[in-house]
Amino acid sequence: MSWADFGSGALRAALPVAIWGCGAAIYAASKRDGRALASARWSALLALVLVVLAVLAMEGALVSHDFTIQYVAENNARATPLFFTVISLWAALAGSILLWTLVLAGATAYVAWRGTRELPRLGTTALAVLLGMVSFFLLLVTTPAADPFVRIDPPLDGNGPNPLLQNHPLMALHPPLLYLGYVLFSVPFAYAIASLVLGEGGDRWLVATRRFALVSWGLLGVGIVAGSWWSYAVLGWGGYWAWDPVENAAIMPWLVATAYLHSVMVEEKRRLLRSWNLSLVIATFALTILGTFLTRSGVVNSVHSFTQSAIGPLLLGYLVVILVLSVGLLLWRLPMLSDRGGVGAPLSREAIFLFQNVVFVAATLTVLLGTLYPIIAEAISGQQLSIGRPYFDRVEVPLALALLFLMGIGPQLPWHGAPRATLERQFTVPIVAAAGGALVAVLAGINGAFAVLTYALAAFVAATVVQEFARGMRARQVLHGEGRATALANLLRRSGRRYGGYIVHLGIVVIAVAVATSQAGTVQLEKTISTGQSAQVGPYTVTLTALRDATEPQRDLLVADLSVTGNGANEQLHPALVFYPNSTQAVGSPGIAAGARDDIYTILAAYDSRAHAWATIRVLVIPLVSWLWLGGLVVGIGAVIAALPQPKRRTVAERVAPLAVGTSAK
Amino acid sequence: MAGAERSTQPRLSSRRLLLIFALLAGVLVAFLAVQNLSSNAVYYLTPTEARDRKIAPGTPIRLGGLVVPGTLKYDPQSRTLVFGISDGTTNVAVLGTGAPPALLQENAGAVVEGQFGEDGIFRASSVIAKHDEKYAPPSPGRTPTHGTP
Repeated sequence: MSWADFGSGALRAALPVAIWGCGAAIYAASKRDGRALASARWSALLALVLVVLAVLAMEGALVSHDFTIQYVAENNARATPLFFTVISLWAALAGSILLWTLVLAGATAYVAWRGTRELPRLGTTALAVLLGMVSFFLLLVTTPAADPFVRIDPPLDGNGPNPLLQNHPLMALHPPLLYLGYVLFSVPFAYAIASLVLGEGGDRWLVATRRFALVSWGLLGVGIVAGSWWSYAVLGWGGYWAWDPVENAAIMPWLVATAYLHSVMVEEKRRLLRSWNLSLVIATFALTILGTFLTRSGVVNSVHSFTQSAIGPLLLGYLVVILVLSVGLLLWRLPMLSDRGGVGAPLSREAIFLFQNVVFVAATLTVLLGTLYPIIAEAISGQQLSIGRPYFDRVEVPLALALLFLMGIGPQLPWHGAPRATLERQFTVPIVAAAGGALVAVLAGINGAFAVLTYALAAFVAATVVQEFARGMRARQVLHGEGRATALANLLRRSGRRYGGYIVHLGIVVIAVAVATSQAGTVQLEKTISTGQSAQVGPYTVTLTALRDATEPQRDLLVADLSVTGNGANEQLHPALVFYPNSTQAVGSPGIAAGARDDIYTILAAYDSRAHAWATIRVLVIPLVSWLWLGGLVVGIGAVIAALPQPKRRTVAERVAPLAVGTSAK
Repeated sequence: MAGAERSTQPRLSSRRLLLIFALLAGVLVAFLAVQNLSSNAVYYLTPTEARDRKIAPGTPIRLGGLVVPGTLKYDPQSRTLVFGISDGTTNVAVLGTGAPPALLQENAGAVVEGQFGEDGIFRASSVIAKHDEKYAPPSPGRTPTHGTP
């Protein structure tokens, strides 16, 4: 039996299993039938196993270069290194949808076996929703639109992955992170829908899926940063964010999810914003589908246009069905979702969170407007146009600064409102820090009012976080007699949600400073120089020492050997043009010397093809850009700390006894 | 910091205050968005469309077409890039500064952003090679061709 038979057989078998499971879960939820629930559970597990088998079949086909499968022939070649062969699973549309199906089936199986035990009725209803989604994706991968196992007359050798996708190992990390983030948000959505279907007024759905939402959000965030890092390291334009529709597709659900993670706290603590939270979950989920539609249907003209396919109408249909059903459900249940009481004073935590939510939604809507406007304009007038990058920069930068400001205020205010004394206690140090931040920016020669403002706000937020940590640790030191390190560890372990959140805020601060500095302070030069000559860029001297050809098994390169000296640097950089045999295009591969202070980014733009005597090189000195990736890592670490299960709260008697070891976590 | 005074006010009025804040913010953002949207909409035209619409010199547009064979020239010392793009009917001469993107080739797609000069020559501020979506089937024994012309 061939890999194709095996894989497509597994997917075709999984489809009826998932549909059966969906029906069984609906029956189990409505009749409270234990046998039907067991059937739904086993169906979810069986569907997962079958999808895993299909993925393994695809990997088997890729690794064994089975070119009878169209996907393998188009995305793999005999000379493709094993690493890039394995990750070719997500190099193109059909494989990506297969990966999506795998993650969704995994999350569904988890809900089937864990979620339905914790909250039987709600979990079972959510399971039905999830199995419905699994069925849809299995339908996709078994129709020609996205069937990964379509067979063709085998060519002698395959095309190999898209050159852009086999140039950097980050490709192994960035797409799966985004997919995990996208797909795991299906679980909070399914619970929200289940809660609406069952007419539960409470916030059980929200508490049950808090961790899923957080993990999904964290993965999406880290995936976005990894994606911009990939763009920076591979695409060779010296930037990391271009407001490309594909990037917008990833950031929009992340923005709404961020709003949701905060407004959830308002619902938990103040029993407010119920319908608002449901709307945010629905919007986040719909945006993940919209993003997939935008990027996978080729409806938007973009550098990522290699993912065009006939899948568009199916995804659009799915999106419309989801929107109509969930918004309809929400409107139907609206009367029972009314809040008790209202938001307190304007200077209360809930008010700031609400305001922050408004800004996040505004940011999302404006990105959405800029992304969809060309499509709508073309649909109406037939006229193709694009929205330039300045639109996004001018609209989103002020909103981002507003969010940075609110990030410094919100966590510092108590619920219900703050008396004047509290305000003074909370904000004296941060305001001084903000002034210091602005001063540092001006002294460091940072250009631009927005950049200086970013420094001030970043210092403001960082000071609030440090202040919170210092107070928390001091409290533990006094109450429990703990040392500093123990106090910090316990703070993170016992109040991980809160202090993990602060760490996320610190990561965002680092990202904000890195973005502001790199955008405002980049120095660049493009110059044609002969071998042996030098060019001066900022404090650095770049010398072209040689131009040479290089050959690797799967590709040929033309490499410019550059030596960079000055300002304490002594680096050898090798920007190159890369030629893949099955592609008529040359791909630029930048040479980057990353550093804490700045990155030296070099691009081989053109060269003398006859005598290798000269080359046009582009050199960018980009300050602090490495801190952007580091900030992403800090955000990820904070999210992990916030998502880790916290030890159960101990009784007062236990808390009084200063025990080093707490009760074991569940 | 007037928080202490505000928190003692009746709830309804602080709610109303919040609402007004939110509305103001919404109006501000909407204004910002709409204004920037219209000023940053860059039309994407073929050379023939640009000719028929008599696009005024200085209006930022994007032109898409194929690089006319035999026209792509890059002078490394002055870093002047010259080529013609065509949609089959109309040819437009494009003048750019800087090395051509690695993917720019004759008879292949290109998108240029910029504006027409009074002389009818298009001054490109950015040149993008439009890479094909699907790769042509591999021809056996083919070796990659090097270099920019």
